[in-house]
Amino acid sequence: MFKRILKSNEFLILIIIIALSLVVGSINPNFFTIASLFDLIRASNVYIILAFALLPVVILGGVDISFVAIAAVSSYGTHMFLIGRGYEGGLLLYFIIGCTIGALAGLLNGLIITKFKLEVFDVSLATQTMWYGFTLFFIGATSNFDMPEGVVGYYSAFIAKVTDENLGVTGLHVSTIYVIVIGIFLWWFLKYTMIGRGIYAIGGNRDVAERTGFRINKITMIVFLIMGLLSGFAGVVQSALSRNFNPTLFIGQNLDVLASVILGGAAIKGGKGTVIGTVLGVILTQIIRRALVLTQIPAEWQKFVVGVILIVFTAIPAIRELRRKKLGRTTNLVEATEEA
Amino acid sequence: MEEELLRVEGILKRFGGVTALDDVSFSIGKGESVTLVGENGSGKSTMIKIISGIYTPDQGEIIINGKHFSKMTPIQSIQEGVQVIYQDFSLFPNLTVAENIALNDLIISGAKTVNWREVRDFAREGLDKINVDIPLNVNVGELSTADRQLIAVSKAILAEAKLIIMDEPTTALTRNEVKALFKVIKDLNSQGISTIFVSHKLSEVREIGERTIILRNGKKITDQDAKELDIATIEYQMTGRHIDTSSIKYSKPKEEVLFKVENLNLSHGFFDVSFELHRNEVLGITGLLGSGRTELALSLFGQKPAESGTIILENKEIKINSIFDATSNRIGFVPEDRIKEGLFLPQTITNNIAAKIIDTLRNKLGLLDQKKKVRLGDEWIDRLDIKTPNGQLPASSLSGGNQQRLVLAKWLAFDPKILILNGPTVGVDVGSKAAIHELIRQLAADGMGIILMSDDIPELMHTCNRILLMRRGRIVNEFLRESTDEEDLNKELIADDDNGTSKRQVEHV
Repeated sequence: MFKRILKSNEFLILIIIIALSLVVGSINPNFFTIASLFDLIRASNVYIILAFALLPVVILGGVDISFVAIAAVSSYGTHMFLIGRGYEGGLLLYFIIGCTIGALAGLLNGLIITKFKLEVFDVSLATQTMWYGFTLFFIGATSNFDMPEGVVGYYSAFIAKVTDENLGVTGLHVSTIYVIVIGIFLWWFLKYTMIGRGIYAIGGNRDVAERTGFRINKITMIVFLIMGLLSGFAGVVQSALSRNFNPTLFIGQNLDVLASVILGGAAIKGGKGTVIGTVLGVILTQIIRRALVLTQIPAEWQKFVVGVILIVFTAIPAIRELRRKKLGRTTNLVEATEEA
Repeated sequence: MEEELLRVEGILKRFGGVTALDDVSFSIGKGESVTLVGENGSGKSTMIKIISGIYTPDQGEIIINGKHFSKMTPIQSIQEGVQVIYQDFSLFPNLTVAENIALNDLIISGAKTVNWREVRDFAREGLDKINVDIPLNVNVGELSTADRQLIAVSKAILAEAKLIIMDEPTTALTRNEVKALFKVIKDLNSQGISTIFVSHKLSEVREIGERTIILRNGKKITDQDAKELDIATIEYQMTGRHIDTSSIKYSKPKEEVLFKVENLNLSHGFFDVSFELHRNEVLGITGLLGSGRTELALSLFGQKPAESGTIILENKEIKINSIFDATSNRIGFVPEDRIKEGLFLPQTITNNIAAKIIDTLRNKLGLLDQKKKVRLGDEWIDRLDIKTPNGQLPASSLSGGNQQRLVLAKWLAFDPKILILNGPTVGVDVGSKAAIHELIRQLAADGMGIILMSDDIPELMHTCNRILLMRRGRIVNEFLRESTDEEDLNKELIADDDNGTSKRQVEHV
């Protein structure tokens, strides 16, 4: 059991995170303050939720790139609708409407994929363009900075506050609770429900899953429902945090999120991936981003470093496989070698 | 016979104009072990599909547990206790052993959530029933084929199987694994579970089955105690023709050494391998799965280059560090897994034949000369007697035996000096086998040097001039065909493997 944990992907990322933190901390001690930690968490939260949205799709064996556009249309659409009606309340209504729009958009992906037996990637390529286009043309083309009364203070809605000489007053943001709640739910859903197991089964071997009696279309629809719902949610959180609603929210960031999910141990061909791994994957990407700022390495390097780590990570299983292949099938060779 | 479990009565099944099964009847007793044998197209897969409810017979009846069915659905078949283990085992490589075993039951029971403790207990119970010990929390993808098969068996048992049908279960197993599987099957039989074992390997037919049923062209030819049948009789019953081995014309090797290997090594593969191949000779290399035989074949073809040693072709030392090196020295290789490694299945038969020599089919403009290509394709389809109405059909439309001929055609069109064949007739029926053997001997007589890797003893005896035996990565013995008989060679082949029976369990800790 202990050996399995040591060999797991999650453990490896954790080691990298710790090692990287030690290096950065020794160069710039500011990294090791509570305030810096809280700030890291706040910056990570939205991306963790987005990664959660994508994770079931990846386990199912697909790559979706449209979730960012779904986040944009849901959050921006909700905002423009509510602002237009003079809404001054809190975020709850934003969440309800935003998640509903997101869920419907996600279901549309699922419907096209299951009805016409298309590849997830192809469909999402189309719907991504479609939703950004729709938002810009029908809803609005500019960022909107008007905030309802109830949303204004959201960016500083802290559970715990700290004052830091560099960062000023900061704290553990309330969105951390969402991440924990969603994370626990998603973990339970993937590990303990038959639908969750079905997602892994389909990702592992689609034909056998069908023969075993998993209802592929139903499970696919549920996966895309979750993706849309969480994307809509993440869109609202991000916009409220940054105090502006943007029709091109998250544009171009879909592959960064995918990279985090893969870093977290999910397999691009499906069947593998965990909630813990995904959280660690996002945190690692965020630490790298921060590390480069704190150690004053030019920001352009960030993507490069993430890329290199990604290569290493995708190479590890391949190297293990190669080693196994190189060992060959010749049995009893240990003794044979000893005899020789 | 004791109590009867299953009886099929006068089963007739037609597909279009083809009669797949013609008035076939037999019965299987409780706890009985039956082997079902037949060439490709003999109707044995159709029979299995009828018993498992996938096909409905046009005439006839299936009687299971005393219930009569003229039509049976797959669900009814499962409810009556019929479980089929297909060659892919229907497992999920990314899920643990425990989950793989328990999933079926979870789905059937309509469970919404998973209780992992119950899953493990359930799986443990399943493995205990067949007395095997496989770690429950390992992913199935990390296990050997043999272990995966045992998992499939325990899944079947847990589904309350009364009859387990296994389709070619020993294809990828080592000798020890086959033994372990047979022990499990015998165990099941003693618990009153019947088994039908579909096999091509004639020596196993006698080993496992109490009774052998032979189908040919949709008709039942034989139904009798396995011990009363010898291999020659089974072959005859399957093909309807005597395969006469006494009149085989073997090629006569010359003194001239065509190909020579000295002290070849590959760690974890083979050690200190040296041999000579004469002109016009067919050299057999045998050994069990895991003896280093396959690794040696892959080394000679540059896929897993040897780490040290010398290779001499026509008195010139050559280096084989890649497949490109091998082919530029005109060494050809017919792989074991023809579907994965040998053919482009969706491509046309002609394209497959031309694939290796596409460079020579250029016209003046340097473009592909289609007419030349078609001519080449037709020539080889004709020469190797590949049964197809048209060379423009995809390779996937061919039967197993014809696909194997197509792989051969692809390499023969390339005109190699040395042709390495690795298990050239695995999964090919007896009739096509004899034709391929004939072809191999003919090629050698025409001057091609042939190295044949195989663990099929009759195959080696029917084609080779000389046979080398590998064991644990070394060549340990050499046999001249004239002075060896099949039984001796078989004994030698499986001799020392018996020491290490329990090793398999240790490997995956």
